[in-house]
Amino acid sequence: MIKRTFDWLIQPLGLIAVGIAFLALFSLAAYGIYETQQTPEQPIQFPHRTHVAFGIQCLYCHPGAARGPAAGIPSQSTCWGCHEQIAKTQTSLLLKPLKDAVESGTPIEWVPVAIVPDFVQFNHRAHVAAGQNCENCHGDMTKVTIAENPQVMNMGWCLTCHVESAGDDHEKLIKLADCGTCHY
Amino acid sequence: MSEQFSRRDFLKLAGLGAATTAILTGCGPASRYVKREPYMQMPEYNYNGQSTYYATTCRECAAGCGLIVRTMQGRAIKTEGNANHPLNLGKTCARGQATLHGLYNPDRVTDPIKAGSPTPMGWDTAIQVVADALKNNNPEEIAFLMGMTPDHLFDLVSDLADATGMNAPIRFGALGMFESRVTLSKAAENLFGVAGLPFFDVGGAQVVFSFGANFLETWLSPVSYTRGFAGLREGVTKQRGKLVQFEARMSATGGKADEWIPLRPGTEALVVLAIGRLAAELKGGSMPRAFSGVDVLDAASRSGVKLETLEHLATMFANSTGALAIPGGAALGQSNGLAVAEAVLALNALVDNFGRPGGLYLSALAPNETDDHRPASAKEMQEFVQKMTDGKFKVLFVHGVNPFFELPNSLGFRSASKNVPLLISFSTFPDETAREANYIFPDHHGLESWGYQRVATGADQPVLSGAQPVVSPFYNTRATADVLIAAAQLAGGKFSQALPFKDEVEFLQGKAASLMNEANGSFSAPDILTFMAYFQQHGGWWKTSEGRGIPDAAGVLNRNLSGDAAEFAGEGEFFFVPFVSPTLAEAGANKPWLQELPDPTTTVMWNTWLEMNPKTARDLHIENDDVVRVVSAAGAVELPVYLYPAIRPDTVAMPFGQGHTAYGRYAEGRGINPNDLLGQHFNEAGDLAFAGMKVSIEKTGRKQHLSRLESMIGVYGEGMGEEH
Repeated sequence: MIKRTFDWLIQPLGLIAVGIAFLALFSLAAYGIYETQQTPEQPIQFPHRTHVAFGIQCLYCHPGAARGPAAGIPSQSTCWGCHEQIAKTQTSLLLKPLKDAVESGTPIEWVPVAIVPDFVQFNHRAHVAAGQNCENCHGDMTKVTIAENPQVMNMGWCLTCHVESAGDDHEKLIKLADCGTCHY
Repeated sequence: MSEQFSRRDFLKLAGLGAATTAILTGCGPASRYVKREPYMQMPEYNYNGQSTYYATTCRECAAGCGLIVRTMQGRAIKTEGNANHPLNLGKTCARGQATLHGLYNPDRVTDPIKAGSPTPMGWDTAIQVVADALKNNNPEEIAFLMGMTPDHLFDLVSDLADATGMNAPIRFGALGMFESRVTLSKAAENLFGVAGLPFFDVGGAQVVFSFGANFLETWLSPVSYTRGFAGLREGVTKQRGKLVQFEARMSATGGKADEWIPLRPGTEALVVLAIGRLAAELKGGSMPRAFSGVDVLDAASRSGVKLETLEHLATMFANSTGALAIPGGAALGQSNGLAVAEAVLALNALVDNFGRPGGLYLSALAPNETDDHRPASAKEMQEFVQKMTDGKFKVLFVHGVNPFFELPNSLGFRSASKNVPLLISFSTFPDETAREANYIFPDHHGLESWGYQRVATGADQPVLSGAQPVVSPFYNTRATADVLIAAAQLAGGKFSQALPFKDEVEFLQGKAASLMNEANGSFSAPDILTFMAYFQQHGGWWKTSEGRGIPDAAGVLNRNLSGDAAEFAGEGEFFFVPFVSPTLAEAGANKPWLQELPDPTTTVMWNTWLEMNPKTARDLHIENDDVVRVVSAAGAVELPVYLYPAIRPDTVAMPFGQGHTAYGRYAEGRGINPNDLLGQHFNEAGDLAFAGMKVSIEKTGRKQHLSRLESMIGVYGEGMGEEH
């Protein structure tokens, strides 16, 4: 059966079929990968750049970044603390989901954009303490509406930064390049 | 082109393409996207992005272990043991770990429901129903059936019953039935004059003889006893202590033992007395009356244990400086179970280990407790069912127990419940009993509730374990204590006088207030609010001093002890030993983590099996996974066979935990309930003689493959060809 298939495949028509099949698979896969790299749908088109432009610090809404592993998503009361006093909140179509959620007492379901797999133990606190700025990993939020990932957060990317940060300090390099630093 | 590109080849290529795409896209972040709901109002003690930990009590069985639950943004995400809790010292069993699957179970009862009504009712109507039930019936026509847990709700209902003349709440659970708790406490009462659960200090012993007590899996307080076992194996004594397990079917405890003695079911008392006699002879002095009547040779031949073995065991027991004997489980679930328990306790008296490290103690009573409130025996449940049948109860409230599933069918609870006009279930899950109830008024899940629970056995100190909500309730459920308090207020009169509280929390404060002035407490506080804050923070209140009692040994050895063999019900040729699944037990089957957890001895998952010795199976021409029909005097069931060499050839065994006909999508319609085979056959203490049935086995010709973690290839020569 396999031999017959192979014989058929090496004749000209077969080669063309193989080519078409390969192209189809390749484009399907490319499309699939492209799809997965898109920023997820969010319940509110939250404009990061507007908020940053008003001078609001990252840590005002994501205070967990300075204290512990997860930066956290702000509670509705954090949003409402300001928006309650802004007249536009009552009329803006863009802000209607927030207004509705607060008034009906239903939680807003956000989709975190930058997440690492469960086998990676990522702690924001250590990175903030080491003097890393938010934009080093999350990109320039003065330019985006919904948060986007400017880079693929994979192991190579993490490790490159760790090695660069260590510089010539050999002891630091051992600590930062150790598997157990992130996988424990 | 002579060959056609076949449809099958096309499908193969298409499948390959789809798989490639799936794999490649699966690597992307989209597959990992999850939704997160942040708090609407952040509690002031919370930090965004940081976990909050709460101390509470595990409600999965009646032991009362302390838990620390990790929560993140209002969601419970992990349970671990409370390291400071005297009972479990930071450990939990599998059921404690899986308690989250109860919390997030998709099949929970979300609203108060009236049977047959398509729409949920409101809580105001529900409370009115309870109030009417209390008010419009004679107090003696109202009954409460509760779970085994000695908790605050039991206290509340007891107070209500005392003040109004209602029937005192009766507590029952299948775990208590299969552990033969009542037999054990009755034996303690007969011998020591105290009807409590004895505590066996396995940790400090050198030699432990366990007669049927499966203490590493499910018995009484498995986490505490497992810790004791670690103590036995060098942890405390610095020597490797020995464990000998006497049981017809090897449990995981038997598997961990140094010696496993597969005696003939029903002859436990005889073996105990024979060992006692031989040990007493070795010790010298006069022969105690308790052991004088036994004929050792006869005991050896009737029990199937060789005389040399008995002699070797007796030597081991008598010559040890820290010998301990434990009665429990199937050994007491015989018609002569009480005699077995008394004989084993007397064996301890022989080596005089009462109140010594590695010996026998009386369990500490919990704070606020005057005497041990033991759960009902099966015999008492039979009387209860009889009252139901006779129409003595107009209202039956059920909380924390599922009698339709946990009681043997032959006791007739199901049919008797038809004679109760109003059956109200407070179950969190749609279990068998709730399905048949007139109303379900769902209680919160344990992780959403307030409360306290007494630790009945297993801890050195008196412990009152505290519970608090670690998450806000997900659904429109309400604490049963709150429902009863509100209904009592509505009913007025003596009902409202009996429960004059604003809510459950005020009731708890009232009960805990008396502990503020007690000496040797784990903490103290100047006022009740501070005291309650510490109570939640520590996960309960316990005394720092030893609270276990020392049994009175006088006269124990001067009793006449009976070594009569047990009587068996039924005509079959096999002894039937049901045992409790350590993971599923009476209420674990609706949790996928537990369903997926392999059984410790057979590694079977998601099912029920019949354990049979390979030799017996060969004689009956039965192979692994063959479905057989097991027939007892009370009923018949069909299930697949698991060939298990660590069981006597004349015995078959079946785990208890599956066979639900309701209880949510993970439990329903899966496996078999061994309770269907049990008849109304009791021992002298009133416990069910669940291991006193004989069954017959018939082949059905069908096969049903059990899902197992282990491969069977190479096991007992399977798949190795004829020569093996």
